Amino acid sequence: MSTKVAGSAKKDGYKNVRVYLEGQPAWIKAGSLVYASKGNISKGNIVLIDLRTKEKSEAGRIARSVTIPYETLEDRLEDIPKKAPIVLYSDSAEEAADAVEDLRDEGYKKVALVAGNYAGWLKAGGATVTGPVVTEITWKRILGEGEVGKADFLKAANGTDPNAIILDVRTTDEASEGGFTNAIAVPLDQIGSRLADIPKDRKVYVHCTTGARAEMAAEELNKNGYKAFFLVADVKCEGNDCKIDD
Amino acid sequence: MKKSILKFIPFFIMASFLVTGCNQGTKSTSTAAKPAVSTEAKKDQGLVYKGSVKGKSNKAKSISIVVGKGKEAKTVMVKFDDNTKGVENADPGHASIIFYEMRDGQPWATVIKPKLAKLPEGVTEIKTEELQSLIESKADFVLIDARPGKRYAASHLPGAINLGTEEYKAQAADVLPKDKNKLLIMYCGGPT
Repeated sequence: MSTKVAGSAKKDGYKNVRVYLEGQPAWIKAGSLVYASKGNISKGNIVLIDLRTKEKSEAGRIARSVTIPYETLEDRLEDIPKKAPIVLYSDSAEEAADAVEDLRDEGYKKVALVAGNYAGWLKAGGATVTGPVVTEITWKRILGEGEVGKADFLKAANGTDPNAIILDVRTTDEASEGGFTNAIAVPLDQIGSRLADIPKDRKVYVHCTTGARAEMAAEELNKNGYKAFFLVADVKCEGNDCKIDD
Repeated sequence: MKKSILKFIPFFIMASFLVTGCNQGTKSTSTAAKPAVSTEAKKDQGLVYKGSVKGKSNKAKSISIVVGKGKEAKTVMVKFDDNTKGVENADPGHASIIFYEMRDGQPWATVIKPKLAKLPEGVTEIKTEELQSLIESKADFVLIDARPGKRYAASHLPGAINLGTEEYKAQAADVLPKDKNKLLIMYCGGPT
């Protein structure tokens, strides 16, 4: 919390303390650049993209890079997962900034740069590799604590996993437009008063339309002795035809 | 020893009232001595929810908001309609104050206001444009990212160093400049 740290610094005798209250979201909204730290570039679950030419990439690139020369970025958008944290580098600050702008325009929300681009990485003593470039992106979202993955969720939804049930916590209005066949529908705000409607002897996989409400519902259920997990994915239903986009 | 701790208690309590802080992107685990969020305002404002907006569905015309802290935290759903003022102020991840009325046993929002973070005394706010020009002109200041280390690692502003709330005590002496006149600028994930 920036205000808390500012208060502590003030108390410690720092005379000029200011707070950028709007914080990183406003910074990104203004089109400004952000940077990933060395540890995250080396080991984080990211898509690391080398925007330089294939030849330069072959001669030396940051370990784990996927080579997508800037001119080909637009053609590769379909292969770059929207939810993945993307880290870019080039040998031109301008080109890297352009690529950030392009990706943000396309709806990528987590786009960061390598500080100082490739030269900055070398200077920081980061690991590099040489040889044939990698073009395939293998990124997979790592499930957070308490989440259920799409595959397990679907098994419960289509009845092949008898040990789990689906709980739909969208509003009655939303649920009236469609939902999973065997789901129990209890809107989030009614969970507390309708626990009797939710079986306790099986795992409960909770969904809403994005995952936010599902997480809160799962938390509430777990407080009450359930084994509940939530699905983080965009869920859209028409009748019993539901699409899960994770 | 005991005395010195006691001396700080009023400060912590005060700080916990003053500071509404930042969106940490995680569940609120604050154990601060905040008063339980009242679902009923005294005086003449009628009913009010204060807390962090968890979700907003324009389709279902409903907002879910987390009120209360820590173990007291619970989620309530409020409906809104075309007469609700300030619906745009209910922004998921950010703190809001929702005035509502009961209709058919269900809360309906009447007015929604953003809940703004309060600055500690003597601390001023800086806006995006000014910060951009300070960074561009390579001004002499220290930029501090007050979010947890994991979030800092994922992405941070150019030149920022990391000093989270939890780490302040242990790391401040190493991370902050010796010169107490130097300009420090703190930021995090935006107001809750």
